[in-house]
Amino acid sequence: MLALLAVLQIVSSIPTLGSLAKEVGGNRVNVESLGKGYQDPHFIEPKPNLMLVLNRADLLLYVGLELEIGWLPPLVLGSRNPRIQPGELGNLDCSRAIPVLDVPTTKVDRSMGDIHPQGNPHYWLPPGNAKIIAREIAQRLEELDPEGRGDYEKNLAAFNARVDAKARQWESATRKLRGARIATYHKSWSYVSQWLGLEEIGYVEPKPGIPPDPQHLARLIALMKEKQSKLLLMEDFYNRSVAALVAQKAGAKLLVLPTDVGATPEIKDWFTLADAVVRTLSSSAPGSG
Amino acid sequence: MKLALLFLAVALPAAAQQSDGGVPDDLQKELEKALQADKAAAAQGGQPAPPAAVAQSTGSAPQTLLRGAQSLNPDFSVILDADVGYQRRAPQLLSGDDPDLKAEAARHALGFTAQEVELAFSAIVDPYFKGEVYLTIPNLEGIEVEEAFATTTSLPWNLQIKAGSFRSAFGRQNGQHLHMQDFTRRPLINAAFLGADGMRGPGVQVSWLTPLPFFLTIAGEAFSLRGDPADLSQATPQTVPSFGGDGSSHPTLAAEAKAFFPVSETWSLTSGLNFASGRSTGLLLADGTPVGAGRDSQLYGADVYLKWKPVNVAQGYESLAFQAEAIFRHLSGGDGIQDEWDGGAYAQIVAQFARRWFLGIRGDLVGIPSSTVLPRTQRIGGSLTFQGSEFSRVRLYAEAEHADNSSALLPQVNPQWAPAVFLQLEYSIGAHGAHPY
Repeated sequence: MLALLAVLQIVSSIPTLGSLAKEVGGNRVNVESLGKGYQDPHFIEPKPNLMLVLNRADLLLYVGLELEIGWLPPLVLGSRNPRIQPGELGNLDCSRAIPVLDVPTTKVDRSMGDIHPQGNPHYWLPPGNAKIIAREIAQRLEELDPEGRGDYEKNLAAFNARVDAKARQWESATRKLRGARIATYHKSWSYVSQWLGLEEIGYVEPKPGIPPDPQHLARLIALMKEKQSKLLLMEDFYNRSVAALVAQKAGAKLLVLPTDVGATPEIKDWFTLADAVVRTLSSSAPGSG
Repeated sequence: MKLALLFLAVALPAAAQQSDGGVPDDLQKELEKALQADKAAAAQGGQPAPPAAVAQSTGSAPQTLLRGAQSLNPDFSVILDADVGYQRRAPQLLSGDDPDLKAEAARHALGFTAQEVELAFSAIVDPYFKGEVYLTIPNLEGIEVEEAFATTTSLPWNLQIKAGSFRSAFGRQNGQHLHMQDFTRRPLINAAFLGADGMRGPGVQVSWLTPLPFFLTIAGEAFSLRGDPADLSQATPQTVPSFGGDGSSHPTLAAEAKAFFPVSETWSLTSGLNFASGRSTGLLLADGTPVGAGRDSQLYGADVYLKWKPVNVAQGYESLAFQAEAIFRHLSGGDGIQDEWDGGAYAQIVAQFARRWFLGIRGDLVGIPSSTVLPRTQRIGGSLTFQGSEFSRVRLYAEAEHADNSSALLPQVNPQWAPAVFLQLEYSIGAHGAHPY
C-alpha cells in the first residue's frame, strides 16, 4: 500500500508521451493515456469518463501546439483536479523545448484549412525530439518528486543511450531513402522527413484537414509522376481508399504507418513505434524489392 | 449568499494546499508566520522585496521564438446563424434563438432573419477562475447577456462553482448554445417549461464530481429569475413561464445529476435527472386580468443521450446519436386555477452518413397531460446538414406543427397545422473553445 502511494499518476493525451514518461519514471510512475494509439489525436471525443482519469492525475502530459485544442481543455476543466490546471506543475506541454517546424511566417486564417498557428505538432517520432521530450518529463518529475531525482536521472541517461544506439541502426537502415521524393496524406510527416532526409513534394489533402477534390488529386498524381515520387505516406487512422487510388495512379507505393504507441498491439513503446516506421520505410527503399 | 460562496471559492484552494501539501507542521507554521509578517509589512506601506529570479526549469531555453504572438487577450469568436424560410403561421412555442420570421397568429411569413449573432469571450482569469462571456443578439433584436460567469479551477474535494449569469444544467439541451443544436429550432419543451430563452439568469451553481468508479456529477443551483406574465393581448402566441414570478424575493432552485457510461469504445450513454422549483409568473388575459401569478411550480426531468461513433475514420465517417428528454411540471392551485400537472418530451436521431453530411429527425410532444396554461402541441421536424468544415455548416430544416385547442384560457389556434421550412447558414470565426461532450 505504501509503495502504491509513492507512485506518481501520469496521464498523457497520446500514448507515446506516456511511454516516454514510463521510460524516465520507471516504477515510480504509473501511466495512462486519454487517447488510443489508433485514434486521430486531433479528434478524440471528450467523453466525461476521461475526466475521471484526469481527476486522479499528478501530471498531465500533452503534445501542445494546439493539437488537442478541440477536446482536452474542457476535460481538464471538468476534471476538478487543481494539480493539472494550466500553469501548475502538474501540467506539462511537451512541445516547450522542441524545435518546431512549419511555423507560419505570414498571417494565417482558416482559408488555409485546419492549420496550427504555432507550428506542426506531429514531432514525437524522431530520436532527437524523443530525447528532448524525455528530458522535459524527467525535469518535471524531479520537481514533483525530488526524492526520485537519482532514479529519473539514471533512467534518462539509460534511455538516451538506448536511443543513440537505435538511432544509428535506423539511420543506416534508411540511408538508401535519403533524398527520396515522397507525398503524404496529411502534412504531419515534416519531422520524419527532416530526420530521414526525405523530400515532400505534395499532399493528398489540398489543405490540412480539408478533404481532397478530383482536380487536386489529378494535379498531385501528375506531380508525383513528374518528380518520380514512389512513396505515399499516411497515418493508419485515416480512410485509405483515396490514398490507395492516388498511389496506384501515380505508380507509387502506399505506406500506411503507425504514428503512436498502441497503433497495433505489437507497438508497446516509443522504440517499437520508431522501429515499425523505419522497418516499413526501409523495406520500400529502392533496391530492397 | 453568492458573495459568501465566492469568498469560499477563493479561500478553499488555499486551505486545500495547506492540507494536502505534505508539509511538516512546524515548517508550515513558520511559513505562515513569515507570510503574515510580509502582509503586515505591506499593510504598513512597506514595499515587498522583489522576488528572486526564478530559474528556468528546462535545461535549455525553448529554441523556437516564433510561437505566434503571445497575447493575454481573451479568446474571442463570433458565431452567425442566418436563415431564409417560410412559416404558415406563428409557431406556438417559440424559443428566443429560434428563427423568428414575424409570422402572426393567422398570417404566414416568408423571408430572412439573422437568427442569432453570438459574441464569445473566454480566458483563464488567474490560478483560481476561468471566465466566459457570451453575448447574443437573437433575431437582430437587441444585445443580451446569454451567459457571463466564472468557473473555479482549484477547489478541493472535487467541487466546482460557477457564478455569474449562466444557463442552467437542467436537462441536456438547456445548457447548450444554438450552434450546438442539431436542428434549426430548439425542442418545444424548452420554451414550454424552461422559458423562451431557456432557464438562464444570475445565480450560482455548485457541482460535485462523486468519487464513484463511473462518471457522476451532482449539481445544485440557485437563480434570481424575473419574468413578465404571458400577455394574451399580443398578436402572437404566448407561453406561460414556469418561473420568474416573485423573482426578487423568491430564488428559483434546481438540482441535477448527470451520469456517463462508456459502454464500449464506440457506444456511450449519458443520462441525467433534473429538478427545479420556483414560482410561475402567470398570465394576463386579453382584457388585462392577471391569472395564476405566483403559483408554485416544480419541474421533474430526465434525459438520455446514446451515441455510436467509431474510434477513427479509417473505420468510416458514420455516426449515430439518439437523444430524448422529458419534463413534467406540477403547478399548485391558486389565483383561480386548480392544482394541476402537465408535461412534454422530444426524441431525436441524428445520423452522420458521410464525412460532411448529417441527417436528423425529431418528434416533439408537449401537453401530455395538458393543463389550463399548456395545450397539447405536436411537431415533427427533419434536418439535413452539410458541414463544410468545423467552422461552417448549411442546414435545411422542415417541420410541421399541430396545435390542439385544448386550453380554456388560451386563444384558439387556426389553422391547426402549420408547416415551416428554413435554410440556415452558420459559421464561427475566431478562436472558439472546445465543446463539452
